[in-house]
Amino acid sequence: MHPRAYRLVFPDPGPKKTPSVLRVRPASPPPRGPGPEDNQAALALEPRELWIAAHVSQLPLAALRSPARAAPLVVIDPDDHNRRIVAADPQAQAAGVRPGMTLGAALAAAPHIDAQARNVTREQELMQHLAAVAAEFTPLVSLEAPDGLLLEIKPSIRLFGGLRELCRRLRAACLAHPVLMQAQVQPRFTLAPTALAALAAARAGARCFITDSRQLPARLKPLPLEVLRWPDEENARLAAMGVRTLGELMRLPRAGFAKRFGPTQLADLDRLLGRRAEPRRRVARRERYRGQLDLDHEITDHERILQALAPLIAELEDFLRARQRGITALQCRFHHYRAAPTVCTLRLAAPEADAGRLTALLRERLASIALPEPVRRCELRSGPLTTRASVSRSLWSPGERGHAGAGEMPALVEQLRARLGMNAVYGLCHVPEHRPENAWRAKRGTDLFIDDKGNPASGGASSSMNKAVPLFFFHRPLWLLQTPQLLAARRGRPLYRGALEILGGPERIESGWWDGADVMRDYYVARDGRGARLWIYCQGENAATREWFLHGIFG
Amino acid sequence: MSVTHDKQLQELLAHPSVWRGRSRAALETLPTGFPALDAGLPGGGWPRHGLVEILTPELGVGELYLLLPALATLSRMMPARWCTWICPPHEPFAPALATHGVTLDRILVVRTHLPLWAHEQALRSGACEAALAWLPRASARAIRRLQLAAEQGRTLGVLYRSQRFAHEASPAMLRVMLEPLARPGVHGARVSLLKSRGGSREPIELMWAAAAA
Repeated sequence: MHPRAYRLVFPDPGPKKTPSVLRVRPASPPPRGPGPEDNQAALALEPRELWIAAHVSQLPLAALRSPARAAPLVVIDPDDHNRRIVAADPQAQAAGVRPGMTLGAALAAAPHIDAQARNVTREQELMQHLAAVAAEFTPLVSLEAPDGLLLEIKPSIRLFGGLRELCRRLRAACLAHPVLMQAQVQPRFTLAPTALAALAAARAGARCFITDSRQLPARLKPLPLEVLRWPDEENARLAAMGVRTLGELMRLPRAGFAKRFGPTQLADLDRLLGRRAEPRRRVARRERYRGQLDLDHEITDHERILQALAPLIAELEDFLRARQRGITALQCRFHHYRAAPTVCTLRLAAPEADAGRLTALLRERLASIALPEPVRRCELRSGPLTTRASVSRSLWSPGERGHAGAGEMPALVEQLRARLGMNAVYGLCHVPEHRPENAWRAKRGTDLFIDDKGNPASGGASSSMNKAVPLFFFHRPLWLLQTPQLLAARRGRPLYRGALEILGGPERIESGWWDGADVMRDYYVARDGRGARLWIYCQGENAATREWFLHGIFG
Repeated sequence: MSVTHDKQLQELLAHPSVWRGRSRAALETLPTGFPALDAGLPGGGWPRHGLVEILTPELGVGELYLLLPALATLSRMMPARWCTWICPPHEPFAPALATHGVTLDRILVVRTHLPLWAHEQALRSGACEAALAWLPRASARAIRRLQLAAEQGRTLGVLYRSQRFAHEASPAMLRVMLEPLARPGVHGARVSLLKSRGGSREPIELMWAAAAA
């Protein structure tokens, strides 16, 4: 034997022990070394990870299964010009149809088969459903395209009361899922300390429930080579070398194997046996709530629509509660007989998950919507889920004993917006500018709860906004007209409900040459006949072209 | 025995919701910022919750200056609730308000064709320390609703109305009439309490600090 090559030495099974995962001792990282002896020591340690693999055999069949199709069903690959058969159900197999046949050959063998093109989208959808079920057991769920699913469950074992209980529950949850049940998806589950080993066993259809890394090589030995899903030419080359099982593969000298087949396959082998870490990408769940309801009768009345929506909203609340999330957008679609669906969108200022509040807001929103026809079907779609800060309710009602509620203001703003429109409600902020009409800005949208530095506005004496305002604004009016109002004038003197008495001024404001709204105004404080104080200005180079405007009123 | 009864009676009469015509009710109040006005108002300031009606002949006679010190105090409290302005006749000029001490990020302006509804929501929600509304017309029934909403939400409601309505009965807790001072060189107003629970009957003259030319 070549000195650098090594054979994998399988450790003794040793005396019978309790499953190693039940030990509470934290796993220490295995020592690393170049030689086979160290490797053996590494394998002897308890597994750092435990993977459950779920393999859905005949996924193409499951994706096309429906109650309407009873005949022997075969699935063909639409991209293949030979139209080879990808999968065949037991009836078709009994008739002599085998995967890999061309459609012509299959039809010759069994003329009554129902051949369908493969539906890859539906297959992915089914796997997503399966992933959603699995995600209830562990956060680390990853898909192995096209028909495998992997769950790292070591951290969840204690929570679910032991490994066997967890597996039982997982199996039951998959069987109980309505969509999976309808498609008759019955995944095969296996458990192993490495992801690839669990997957290989699941693909081979072998029973595999290994919690000890040391058992791994022995249990993998009889599996056929195809479970690794290596390219066909590699499998053919290995078959030509007389290698047909994983056991035979593991006995090959390492250096020679690397030279002949390249590092990718070697890395696969290392991952299979846990000699190399395998970080996996977890399935990101893009969650939305979507519910619909067919109504028994056609409804035109808003209040009854709300009543009909109540179960959907309650379902939405449960959905959000379970995830500790909130939504900032909710869409309601009302389907009619002929007219296009009426869409009613609710946008919220802060994440919300409370059914009562959502119903109240929908009521306001619905009041402003006219339905073209009676409603036959309601649909509720949530926007993206957002993290919701949980707020504990106060003992005191707002305003009592110096208490200010945290959630009341967003609630009020939403209610006003739902009824009056987005632009009906705004906050104020100061802009450093000399032109009075540009010295302030309305804060709309979610801006309202954010101060000028981007932090949540807290109000109170600590607010930073007021410190930046120059003091001369103290002598400016409190009311500003949206657009200056042109005043009549007599002999160069302004009139407003009679002659105006000028009390102060002029104050020249000349600014804005850079943005085209150049102003040059002389401001005066004036008092009208009824005692109101006004802020007026005149503009114009000479007496002939001079015009007077009312721009503000001192509150 | 009579001593105990007397004591019980005194306790009963000291309850804040019992008001006798002659006495000043024990109210939770907020200083107005004008000592003369504080002295005249029942409880020594604006009520902390309830509806105040301010009647003015005109815009610009000091209707905001009258309220500004109180608004500034309210907006600077920690933690601060909001101040909502419903249908103000013009744009509130933000920098000028800021120099008077009002915290800008606690102001909400509402523009609507349903001012009564918006005002009631703002008063009832408990989110606001004060809610100011400018209403062209409001029935006594509507004002009663607002008064109840203000009590429920523990909010100071302010209703700006025209002087024309001074002779109509109103369920508001406090009614104030504001008239500009006609004397030259003086920037101020005369405040008369049309309705108050034990307030002053004499008009009170106030001077505004700002815009004194």
